[in-house]
Amino acid sequence: MAASPQTSRPAPVTSPEADVTSAAGAHLVRKKRLFWPFLLPAIGLYVLFMVVPTVATVVLGFTSWQGAGDTPEFNGVGNFTELFASDAFLYSFLNTLLYIFVAGVGTFLLAFLFTMVLREMRGGKLVRAILFFPNIVAPVALGMFFSIIMIYRPNRQGLVNYLLESIGVDAVKFLAPENVTWVVIGCLIWASAGFYITILMAAVDRIPPYLYEDADIAGATPWQKFRNVTLPLTWDVIGVAGVLWTIGAIKIFELVFVLAGPGTYSPPIESWTLGLYVFDRSFGTAGSPEYGMACAAAVMMIALVSVLVVALRRLMRRETIQF
Amino acid sequence: MATVTFDGTTRYYAGNPTPAVDTLDLEVADGEFLVLVGPSGCGKSTTLRMLAGLEGIDGGAIRIGERDVTNLPPKERDIAMVFQNYALYPHMTVADNIGFHLKIAKMPKEERVKRVREAAALLDLEQYLERKPAKLSGGQRQRVAMGRAIVRRPQVFCMDEPLSNLDAKLRVQTRTQIASLQRRLGVTTIYVTHDQTEAMTMGDRVAVLRDGILQQCDTPIGLFSRPANVFVAGFIGSPGMNLIPAAVSGESATVGGMSIPLTPAQRAALTSDRVVVGIRPEGWSIGSSGVSAVVEVVEELGSDQYLYCSADIPHVEVAESAEEREAPHAFTVRAPGMSGWHRGDKLALTPQAGAVHFFDAATGDRLPD
Amino acid sequence: MSAPESAPETRVRREHRTPPRKPRPAPTARGFSPLRIVGMAFVWLFTALNVVILYWLVTAAFKTPIEIFNKPFHLPYTWFERGDPFRNLRYAWENAGFGNAFLVTVALVAVSSVVIVAVAAPAAYALTRLGVRGSNPMTNFFAIGMGIPFQTLVIPLFIGMADLGLTNNLFGMFLVYVALSLPFTVFLLTGFFKSLPDELEEAAAIDGASPFRTFFTVMLPLARGGLITALILNAIGLWNETLLAIVFLTDNANFTLARALFTLYGAASYQSEYGGLIAGVAIVVLPMLVMYILLARRIITGLTLGAGK
Repeated sequence: MAASPQTSRPAPVTSPEADVTSAAGAHLVRKKRLFWPFLLPAIGLYVLFMVVPTVATVVLGFTSWQGAGDTPEFNGVGNFTELFASDAFLYSFLNTLLYIFVAGVGTFLLAFLFTMVLREMRGGKLVRAILFFPNIVAPVALGMFFSIIMIYRPNRQGLVNYLLESIGVDAVKFLAPENVTWVVIGCLIWASAGFYITILMAAVDRIPPYLYEDADIAGATPWQKFRNVTLPLTWDVIGVAGVLWTIGAIKIFELVFVLAGPGTYSPPIESWTLGLYVFDRSFGTAGSPEYGMACAAAVMMIALVSVLVVALRRLMRRETIQF
Repeated sequence: MATVTFDGTTRYYAGNPTPAVDTLDLEVADGEFLVLVGPSGCGKSTTLRMLAGLEGIDGGAIRIGERDVTNLPPKERDIAMVFQNYALYPHMTVADNIGFHLKIAKMPKEERVKRVREAAALLDLEQYLERKPAKLSGGQRQRVAMGRAIVRRPQVFCMDEPLSNLDAKLRVQTRTQIASLQRRLGVTTIYVTHDQTEAMTMGDRVAVLRDGILQQCDTPIGLFSRPANVFVAGFIGSPGMNLIPAAVSGESATVGGMSIPLTPAQRAALTSDRVVVGIRPEGWSIGSSGVSAVVEVVEELGSDQYLYCSADIPHVEVAESAEEREAPHAFTVRAPGMSGWHRGDKLALTPQAGAVHFFDAATGDRLPD
Repeated sequence: MSAPESAPETRVRREHRTPPRKPRPAPTARGFSPLRIVGMAFVWLFTALNVVILYWLVTAAFKTPIEIFNKPFHLPYTWFERGDPFRNLRYAWENAGFGNAFLVTVALVAVSSVVIVAVAAPAAYALTRLGVRGSNPMTNFFAIGMGIPFQTLVIPLFIGMADLGLTNNLFGMFLVYVALSLPFTVFLLTGFFKSLPDELEEAAAIDGASPFRTFFTVMLPLARGGLITALILNAIGLWNETLLAIVFLTDNANFTLARALFTLYGAASYQSEYGGLIAGVAIVVLPMLVMYILLARRIITGLTLGAGK
């Protein structure tokens, strides 16, 4: 039954709407006053510890500077010409590119293969959880683990060579300078795959199931479903994942340091990355430090990451898709 | 074109011992428009998805024409499906969406383009071919989904509540469009809906399901005039049929102090002395004697007037939930539009000749006429 | 009006059959394509490899070097037979200073993570919910910080910290950890604050709560899930952090676990002390494994959240 009109409240003397809006307006002003007090600690620390040092690194990259006790002296692009003339830097640069592109392509191909299969597989959640685990293990621990299982030492082989010999294949000097880059690529793919599988699968899970059902009715093969449904509908996420990969791969350091070297000092230059180069020329114990050169190499890192991220964003730009 | 035969088709879901679809036997004629209707969870969508090959079949078989398709993957069944959400690919244009199945089937491009054009012309979509689905209205999207089904030129259309995402007015328009399109193309169509009005207006025949069991399959007129049991009687028709439990003594049943005679055949078929008397809202005559009732709510539709009345007689509830009931009253009576009845008016009601349905109270089945 | 009787059961079910144990899959799922088979095999092989690796790591922590290299898949026995099964762990804990490093790491990680979230949460709130113009560019300014490799800022940072006497100093390390974790944390939390509904905040405002109080009594509790995720992810990140610890910590007494492991590596491989080394690796890895088993879902969604949006 309808309520009788008498039960509603008597009309208030002042209009309630006007009251609320003015209160809300005042509230908004008071809210905005919180902005700087709330933001300042974070932005202060960020600028002081990250922005200023980064700018300083860029400036110092154009100076000749041995390190503590020496005064930086401006020497133009001298550091950079020297960098590109040095084998150590060229190896570092090349290896970093290899890690970004070769390991990146490998990781993403693997992740795509997995998304194709995992979407329809039971136990997929468990598989994802197991594959994800290496992502939360310290890279330094991963590096040591791999270096132990890949030891080449006749009669006391590491796990991998032990398995190779047990199936009658000759043991391989995995950690020799000429091979170690490829071993690192393999390790990177193994350790990172779970993270990118998870990101891509989260995107795949958001694709409505009826699209795959329609593709089933059309008779699409798994590859056609991937090509026509999964890939275009996860394109934006793939772009973001690509940026994350680039950012992560450019700073690879610990993994290579312990995998390729003895751990106490830097490994042979054939295995270096840009991150390792910067470390070796500043805090590494081999040779006398050259802070100016290290900063110049760090500038190259920033330049590389900026160029790649911008290029990737351009490349991956598509109109956004609404389901 | 082809017939569709469900032969004892059964479907279970994991962890549920009662089948979602229980030994369904149903024959759909070539070119027929068959509507599967029932409350949610009755197994109508499952039935359709089994036909499309999106669900496994745990028992029995499905045949399209002479072919047993029980174990065939969807694409070999020669069917097309229109989904409730249309299942349009958001990254493809309308043309690409319509032509997608043909592309997967590796049809040559010229042929494909030609067929897409034809379908677009048929559905009045020509000026939208280069748009993405996000830029289309609900009705246009619905037509794109139809177009994608049509271009395949399948033997069977499967439609899973294709109108449920449209607003009420558009739904009525599209309803007739789909029905006339189907008759023009002459393709056997299985159409799933939970809306009995849609079922009655569109189908050549309507199959009513409940809890996975086929209740009745008949023409709309057959369903309306001779419902096979209490469930169908209450489900078909809006507002629903008045269902009144009554005791049988001698040759007649007593409803609100009035006796309604049963035929000898009806008495013979009765398993106990209880019946359910069914009378549609339009089956009552308002007069000076008979069952007395008090008008509680008047629903004026202009052409008709529905009087929701209370009376001192029991009634049977067949709607699945309280919200779905038309009104919480024992009785619905149809009066001519603008009749001038008011809340609180007292009525004396008698059933019109031939408007009374009898059901066995124990089994729910219809008693023979 | 009498109570409605329920409708009688209409058409009775056919004979009672036993349902199949597993409903048959749709015919689509049964089709075998070569890609699918290769994919499945690969997925399981890859997964099995991960499990084997974990098994190897845990058992090797209890083995002698000879067992590690010559019997990689056997269960450990030598140290058990000698009645000293935890010999490797004890070596790492006592001789290699992991005991002290463990305490240092737990304290440093705990305090840093809490402070990071305490600093980042108000900032994320200010950037998302105060409606101040310029919030978006400011958020992007923070996000750029996630792309800066630490190598590019560590040299000036080290010099500056050395001037203040904050190198080889756990307080200095704490400051560096907090500051360098902010971009990720602020970015993560802006996502959480953005997803909160406006209504509760508006209701609190209408009730007359000050914006400051609204933040503490309404918004923080609402964002609790995000704050906990941020706490966990920072704890994991800092637990594993090695580069900065190598640069800033030089004294054994200040070593974190990752730093101690780094130092142990050189010495242990030289002395063939692989049992102790793997025990050290296990001490670094296993707490993460426990945490992961308990919180896998939160960790995975948290780490992949930014990308999925």
